Amino acid sequence: MKVELFKDFTIADYHKWLREEKISLPELIEAFLERIKSIDPDLHAFLEINQQAALTEADILVKGDSFDKELAPLWGIPIAIKDNICVQGLPTTCGSRILRNYRSPYNATVIERLKEAGAIIIGKTNMDEFAMGSSTENSAFGPTRNPFDLERVAGGSSGGSAASVAALEVPISLGSDTGGSIRQPASFCGVVGLRPTYGRVSRYGLVSFASSLDQIGPIARSVDDCTRVFEIISGKDEQDSTCAPYPPFSRNDIPTEEEIRKLKIGLPREYFSGEVEKGVLELIEQSIDLLRKNNLETIEVRLPHTDYALEAYYIVSPCEASSNLARYDGVLYGFREKEGEDLESMYLSSRTRGFGEEVKRRIILGTYCLSSGYYDEYYLKGMKVRTLVRHDFEQVFEECDLLLTPVSPCLPFNLGEKTKDFYQMYLTDIFTIPSAMAGLPALSMNCGYCDHLPVGLQIIGPPFREELILGLAGFLEKRLSLTPPFPNFHQ
Amino acid sequence: MERKVSLAEIKTIAKLSKLSFSEQELANFSEDVNSVISHFEKLNRLDLQGVSPTSHISWGQPPLNPDEAVVWENRDWVLEQAPEVCGRLIVVPKIVEK
Repeated sequence: MKVELFKDFTIADYHKWLREEKISLPELIEAFLERIKSIDPDLHAFLEINQQAALTEADILVKGDSFDKELAPLWGIPIAIKDNICVQGLPTTCGSRILRNYRSPYNATVIERLKEAGAIIIGKTNMDEFAMGSSTENSAFGPTRNPFDLERVAGGSSGGSAASVAALEVPISLGSDTGGSIRQPASFCGVVGLRPTYGRVSRYGLVSFASSLDQIGPIARSVDDCTRVFEIISGKDEQDSTCAPYPPFSRNDIPTEEEIRKLKIGLPREYFSGEVEKGVLELIEQSIDLLRKNNLETIEVRLPHTDYALEAYYIVSPCEASSNLARYDGVLYGFREKEGEDLESMYLSSRTRGFGEEVKRRIILGTYCLSSGYYDEYYLKGMKVRTLVRHDFEQVFEECDLLLTPVSPCLPFNLGEKTKDFYQMYLTDIFTIPSAMAGLPALSMNCGYCDHLPVGLQIIGPPFREELILGLAGFLEKRLSLTPPFPNFHQ
Repeated sequence: MERKVSLAEIKTIAKLSKLSFSEQELANFSEDVNSVISHFEKLNRLDLQGVSPTSHISWGQPPLNPDEAVVWENRDWVLEQAPEVCGRLIVVPKIVEK
């Protein structure tokens, strides 16, 4: 059976087919494994395929459950996991040579929850090394390509998770977002990606990059599927003290269409500047017109410190990264350079050979900003700017319910186009960083195509108001009449 | 805030970071760091007097777990991840002289 059949499917459709025995669960899993085998050599979305265990898991599910009873929410649904989230027994490389041979001895909380909900882990996806990047070109194992144009990037850092869903190698995946790493690749690949409120999803088992910013979130082919995965993974966790003691998200809280029509949508002027490519801007404006035609009120708002958020982020996140990545020393796990004669030279050579260039650049930058004499000038200043960015959002959400913006100022760019000028690469996250700095939930969804390349719009909400974001996203998705992607790059 | 980070400073930072570089790499990283921090100068336009820093976002008091030791059942799995073991011990280069 070919996965082409499933290109418009949601989780509910898979469950319908499984119940009606139009397909068996092992057949379904085989079909996706076959798809991966056929197209992933071109795409390189996966770093590890969990073939045998996925088939075994399918057998166990079939033997254990009867279709007479209600199926678990994600029963039998294959899911891909970004390679910085621990799955017991599978590699967790973080796209880095330093963790090339590392296999996780435990499951992240999100993995435990997905398994309880019946999901089948089908593999681990490619990413920028330690999630530092915006194109997946910083993976030590080679870049992921964009399924809409193999010469272009899939975005990053969760490029593998986004590309695999867009190319229907899997229906759903998990990514992580520090400054835009779910939303930007979701935008570049034409799929839906949600960065939840900071603290809404447990990070136990997520390899740390910048702890005050990292969040795990779902990537899916429809808003409904994104919602279903988010419902499973959200909620407090004793293993993660930064996880907020709030009840899990419930789909029942999503507002009705009538309620959505009463929402006031803010359009921050700073996100609609000349920096945005014309084709991107036009499609975002079409979506805004669509909302207006459906009687939603839109107002222009100001987020005056937007222009400073990027710089503050590139102080704060490397500082945190330089501290978090100190643990990779070749002692307890990960790569050890055997040539080191003493402990110091073992540290030096293991880290120097284990880390890639961008990771080293950020470690150096972070260590510099935290070093004696510069702390006040950089790290403290960065944290103060973060306060201003946060206050901007607090004020704006007194005027409106949600914000609508572009995800990225540009279309998916060519492989290699921005690798020489890393600051240009940083700029691609200019619209996703501010909300991450403020800990807010934000979603990226496809709103059309420009030159056959997907364009994403972003909906940002107040803390813990994912139901509003997902409600508006579903409302828009229905009216944009866009089918889920199925790029025809491989015959 | 405009400051040229010297090559000597980068050498010190690399040492603190437990990374080693060739002279050419040091020069490249020095250029990179100078390039990034030149952008940070923009933050000087802001009046940050009296602004409190946000080190992380919290939504109330974080829950605390009881301070109790928990037995990790998969000890062997953890040891398997070590680059070099001897029995149930992890081998590291010698750090004390006889």
